[in-house]
Amino acid sequence: MERVKTGIPGLDEMLSGGFYPGSVNLVEGAPGTGKSTLGMQFIYNGIVKFGEPGLLITFEEFPEQYYRDAENFGWDFRSLEKKGLLRVMMTSPEILKLDLERVSGMVEQAVLEKGVKRIVVDSITHFERLASDPVELRNLEYSFVNALKRLELTAILTRESPVLLGGEMGTYPLSYIVDSYILLRYVEIDSRIYKAILVLKFRGSDHAKDIRRLEITSNGIEVLERFEGREGLMSGTPRRMAESFVEAFIRK
Amino acid sequence: MEEERFLESIDPELAEFIKAKINSFIRWDILKLLYSNPHTVDTAERLARQCGRPVESVIRELEGMVRDGLLEMHLVAGIPVYSLPKNASTRQLIEKFLEACRNRQVRVRVVYHILKSQEVRFGEG
Repeated sequence: MERVKTGIPGLDEMLSGGFYPGSVNLVEGAPGTGKSTLGMQFIYNGIVKFGEPGLLITFEEFPEQYYRDAENFGWDFRSLEKKGLLRVMMTSPEILKLDLERVSGMVEQAVLEKGVKRIVVDSITHFERLASDPVELRNLEYSFVNALKRLELTAILTRESPVLLGGEMGTYPLSYIVDSYILLRYVEIDSRIYKAILVLKFRGSDHAKDIRRLEITSNGIEVLERFEGREGLMSGTPRRMAESFVEAFIRK
Repeated sequence: MEEERFLESIDPELAEFIKAKINSFIRWDILKLLYSNPHTVDTAERLARQCGRPVESVIRELEGMVRDGLLEMHLVAGIPVYSLPKNASTRQLIEKFLEACRNRQVRVRVVYHILKSQEVRFGEG
């Protein structure tokens, strides 16, 4: 089946080629793990490598911060906006939700008029204040995800994780609704902090099950090799695997 | 008037724009915010928070700015949301104004003009 490539080195391979077209994908991580960068890179690559215009929706961070951050990676968002290939839009979760529900809203117009194919919502965490009741929140998110699917957009929703290192994996309702669920984590090894990426779920597709190193370089995100010879990585403080185990199964 | 003489050295089209439309610091803040973040479409409360100004004052200014053609207001499910106008000539004037304000001399003139127009507004009230 056709895939929507992220164009992020190493990530498409983890996703067996990329996301499914029209799928909604959740990227969760602590501050600084690279959620927004991953989203920006997905949008940028979509425009310049795959000819798919994009929409980046922010609820709290000012668009001018995205322009500046993107520029640091050599991505000229302002020029893409002038060409009508990108729109970095700031609005509130309430307005976005209501806009998606109505006929010919702002997002729908961008899809129809500009041919937008990719969308990033940074971050979906702000939706959580729209409903204090978990059932109501799930209904609200379900409706939001389906509105994005109705428009046939391939979406990345970022979510802020409150824990910096380790912590319990929550049972966040949205993770059941979305098509794929990617976790970004900090990992401490030998008194140094690394970034890790894991594809926890990918509905209807095979995907890499290993935990890999992620780096934010001057060109954006790169997914590197898997962490070898360690266990308990997602706890944030991995242990060395028993040397004999390493001898037997890894150093062949 | 004294303030009109003060704006004389500025490009006439821009001076006219300042005299007619820029009569408060909050207007200036809102234009700056929306010019720097041109695809913002948001409620009065959120725009107030983004500018760091009181909601009531921002609501009052937004209404005036829509009347003056500086902003567009749309209803999304009955909720008013504000954005820069699509009209290219107004956008160009806003850009011209904010670019001109990078110059300290122009900024000082605009500040003086706003203080004077507020004197008039408060005097009338």
